[in-house]
Amino acid sequence: MSRLPLPRTPHRLDPIDGARAMDEQLLAMVVGLTSEVTILRARLDAAERLLEASGVLAPGAVDGFEPDAEAEAARERQRRATVDKVFRPLREAALAELASITPSGEAA
Amino acid sequence: MSSQSSDNRASLAHPLIAVPSHDELAEQLFVRDLKLYVMQQIEPVQGQIAQQEVKLMEKVETNSTSVLRKRMATHESFGSWLALKRESQRQLWHGVARSVERQAEALETLADIPEPKGSVRINPDFVAPAYIVRGDIHLMPGGNAHDDGSILQGAVMDRGGAVYMLGRNGGMLNDLRGQTAMAHVLTRFPDFRPARILDMGCGIGTSTVPAATCFPQAEVYGIDVGASMLRYAHARAEHLGAAVHFSQQSAESTDFEDASFDLVFSCVMFHETSQAATMAIIAESRRLLRPGGLAVHLEVPLLHDNSDPWVELSGELEAQFNNEPNWRGALTADYRALFEASGFNDVQIGYQATSAAARGGPFRFGPESEGVFRSWFVASGCPNVA
Repeated sequence: MSRLPLPRTPHRLDPIDGARAMDEQLLAMVVGLTSEVTILRARLDAAERLLEASGVLAPGAVDGFEPDAEAEAARERQRRATVDKVFRPLREAALAELASITPSGEAA
Repeated sequence: MSSQSSDNRASLAHPLIAVPSHDELAEQLFVRDLKLYVMQQIEPVQGQIAQQEVKLMEKVETNSTSVLRKRMATHESFGSWLALKRESQRQLWHGVARSVERQAEALETLADIPEPKGSVRINPDFVAPAYIVRGDIHLMPGGNAHDDGSILQGAVMDRGGAVYMLGRNGGMLNDLRGQTAMAHVLTRFPDFRPARILDMGCGIGTSTVPAATCFPQAEVYGIDVGASMLRYAHARAEHLGAAVHFSQQSAESTDFEDASFDLVFSCVMFHETSQAATMAIIAESRRLLRPGGLAVHLEVPLLHDNSDPWVELSGELEAQFNNEPNWRGALTADYRALFEASGFNDVQIGYQATSAAARGGPFRFGPESEGVFRSWFVASGCPNVA
């Protein structure tokens, strides 16, 4: 049988006193991301426990893992990419403010 | 709740409830913990800010809720608290809806009962009352009256309600209110033997099934405004072994005959209606009762205390941002006067101690609240003899 999707947006969401709509949207995204991280951690925990139970990993193997030079370099790249991605808006905003007070013709 | 992660439906309290996958369970537990965090770590701080504001207000001799609200709104944390609280509620429904959709086919198969003991009657011409459609109650998208011809909105309400109550209301059966309402009946009349029972505003039947279990000889009926919820309620009751006759009707005006029930009850319904509807429902309860019958209406055990503007404001905010259409009305109503005006006598108003199983008690009813979830507000009365 063909099924209609369940509705996802409740009818009637009054504006919150003194709050900007964008603040609320940002907060909702942070909550959504926290939820996703929590789910990921639970899944990783399940994976580690299953691998330990099946003997693939020794107990404590993940905590005791020391990345070699190649793995270290890969992680370095991942961390920087993550930081660039997540904090891009703050840098952009600062650059825009800098541009607004820098006389035209003068390199920022 | 972690036992719910298993796909072993047979071991569950009732097999129809939407069972989360590993990740969905992690998601639902996250929402539960987020709600606890908001309630225990953030809300009390707002209460403390309010106390300070109230002290400052007393210096200028005003304690009105609207003034406090304006002053609270000057603090950014007030808005972020409200926004986080509302978002936690939205995340709850969002996650549950996705989980229900994933297993829709399995739930529909389970809901197809070949030889039911009870029944469900849907009215295609039914028009939901204004207080139901004005805003989706508890922010459940689509609202209580949503109907796509399936049982799915009922499944959302069942699982969502169980997560929302954080396991405080009888776990996945979510039935402590119904058990407590029946315990009130037995507290008043230990030998009460109703032949016909009506649950008004029954939703998915969480309180209807305890009535059927407590009084197995009785014919039990449940009414509500939502067709999807009622179809689900019917299948759920069948899986729990309860013969219940569900129908789509407003509790303000039903199609049952005069004096056709011995027990008419509701659980936390008034605060989802309106003041006018509450009066109409109490009058309808009276019309439906036979001599020697009993009406029992159970509500949230929150004391109305207009001496504390923060309590007042909290209630107002809950009503506005969680769409509770008659929160204030239900908490401030003079139930004794309403019952007596509708032709009841021997009216009792107070708090019934929460019961896990009606026949096991506790049979304790008194004028003081024992606290939220430890007792429920109850108003009950017997029809006047003509």
